[in-house]
Amino acid sequence: MRASHKFKVYEFADDAMSDAPTVTRDDVRADICRRLDPFRTDARPITGATVITKDLNIDSLAVMDMVMELEDTYDISIPLNVVAEIHTVDELTDTVLKIRGER
Amino acid sequence: MTPTATANTTLPYRRAGFSSVPEMLDYAARGETGVNFFDPRGRLTAALTWREVRDRAHVFARRLIGAGFARGERLLITADTWPGFMVSFFGAQYAGLLPVPVSLPAGLGGKDAYLDQLRRQLSASGAVAALATDELAGYLTAAAEGSAARLVGPMSAFEALPEKPVDLRPWGAGERCYLQFSSGSTRFPLGVDIRQDALMANIAGQIGDNGLAVSAQDHLTSWLPLYHDMGLIGFMLAPLASQRAVDYLSSRDFARRPLQWLALMSQRRASVTYSPSFGYDLTTRRAQTQAIDGLDLSCVRIAGIGGDMIQPNVLSRFAERFGPAGFSAGAFMPSYGMAEVCLALSFGKLGDGFHIDDVDRQQLSEERVATPVPESESSRTFVLCGLPLPGHPVEIRDEAGKTLPERRVGRIFAQGPSIMAGYFEAPEASAEALKNGWLDTGDLGYWLDGQLVVTGRAKDLIIVNGRNIWPQDIEWSVEELPQLRRGDVCAFSIDAEDGAESIVVVVNAWPAKDDARTALVGAAQQIVKETVGVDCVVQLLSPSIGLPMTSSGKLSRSRARTRYLAGEYANGGRRPVPVAT
Repeated sequence: MRASHKFKVYEFADDAMSDAPTVTRDDVRADICRRLDPFRTDARPITGATVITKDLNIDSLAVMDMVMELEDTYDISIPLNVVAEIHTVDELTDTVLKIRGER
Repeated sequence: MTPTATANTTLPYRRAGFSSVPEMLDYAARGETGVNFFDPRGRLTAALTWREVRDRAHVFARRLIGAGFARGERLLITADTWPGFMVSFFGAQYAGLLPVPVSLPAGLGGKDAYLDQLRRQLSASGAVAALATDELAGYLTAAAEGSAARLVGPMSAFEALPEKPVDLRPWGAGERCYLQFSSGSTRFPLGVDIRQDALMANIAGQIGDNGLAVSAQDHLTSWLPLYHDMGLIGFMLAPLASQRAVDYLSSRDFARRPLQWLALMSQRRASVTYSPSFGYDLTTRRAQTQAIDGLDLSCVRIAGIGGDMIQPNVLSRFAERFGPAGFSAGAFMPSYGMAEVCLALSFGKLGDGFHIDDVDRQQLSEERVATPVPESESSRTFVLCGLPLPGHPVEIRDEAGKTLPERRVGRIFAQGPSIMAGYFEAPEASAEALKNGWLDTGDLGYWLDGQLVVTGRAKDLIIVNGRNIWPQDIEWSVEELPQLRRGDVCAFSIDAEDGAESIVVVVNAWPAKDDARTALVGAAQQIVKETVGVDCVVQLLSPSIGLPMTSSGKLSRSRARTRYLAGEYANGGRRPVPVAT
């Protein structure tokens, strides 16, 4: 629902990707891996199979911050119940693509 | 779509003085004000006048009654910030059912823990019906399997019930109102049995002259969750009792874009809002990297603080950052309360901002005396929480039950018309909290010029060699380490072998390298030694495990202690390293 009231809409985040025509699965996965890179526990690279809340040195607040950044970047909103079932990088990647496709 | 009016044109302003929630809504429904829901970009997504809320609540109530739900039965509701919450909460009020608002899932991969929590809440409340937002309906249905709930689902499942021409059976004076899950443990949820009379008394205090002094010009903004008493009573029921308009941002959207909270107030010229310290902190932090041009917060008359220990530094930083945007530090209003008194027990003085008291740390811990000293390394700073509400005697007592004079630290007890009747179907817990008509708040504090100063939870107090040490002292100082954030540290005591207590500090961090972990442990121990002068054990914890929280999101030191003692935090709580074969 778009607002018809007269107040200015404040944009507090850059929506760099929101108007990009297409993003591929590889793009999204690479983006997520890049965002998670600071939380690696050892030399092993982050892959699609990485379990975000178990294999990484990341707390729940930082995870949610990252999810919110993804939502802003791709101009989507991931429902709470869907978020609660995501464990791996691939699951998060597919969720982003799926919801983006439904816009 | 346009937002509701923020003021009524002809309906005379009435501040409290109602006998029940249905009576409040019936009155407000005669005006044009109501509730407005905004998305994280500040766009209006729904607007309902109180009249529309009432009309839809009536229909909802007739469906419940027509379906055979009996008076006094419980309706569990996932309390997201959505119009359906208002319709069902007030619908239950008109049907004589008790609404039971519950929280939302916490985050990535949190499904199992959430289902578990729902099962416990369904069981503790004995809910016969359970309503979820569309997105959570599947979870609620799964959790309710085998429970007493006869109807479970999203709003459409309730709307499928026929609306029969039955009489409404609204709750009236002296009757029950709703169940508020308090900040107790998630394992054994305790529902405060909120009664209409107590609620009316507390709301009268909140919006009266000794509280927020709400006027017919006020307009409120809130991102507080509606499953918490501060959101539900403070920003839904109290505004209703004064026919105010409220603008809502969901808590999740606030966390995503905290500045939208302020932008919304600025655009809509709202005058009253509230937040725990962490909300002011989050907003200030986000404003370090975002421009705040165009914000005009000169309209904010009250920026209340409640729900956690008030942190003066956080408030000062907020005032400094948003002062240029017109925010007045005088708008800060410290307050103190708990679900067991419905919401509020004391308020600071209007327009007076917050005041601090620097006291000697050593005398505080060794003699339980708050002796004023200039601020220094050896002082401890508290924020004054204001005067108790009229008609609510408050006492500070020592362990023998003797009332204490000014500046002596003891346990806070309260009496008066807002005090709960008890916890729902939990006589033992009720008897423990209510003694001879007094509520044992479980908090420690002292008097200063008639104002309450709250120093912390009694059960969390650490006693080492006869000295009282506040866990917050340790936590806040260790959190100053550059690699840590607020909420990363948990301090508690355990019984040492010689019968004394020793201090354990759990730090929510697990640097990848061994030597970095050793360095962090050493740095934390050093800080604890400098701050409170005792040795401690520092246990690092992998952030993927995380520190335990209560259902209202506060750090649970007692559960951290239990887990620590059970050995769950060994090796940072990480899975055992597999042995090479």
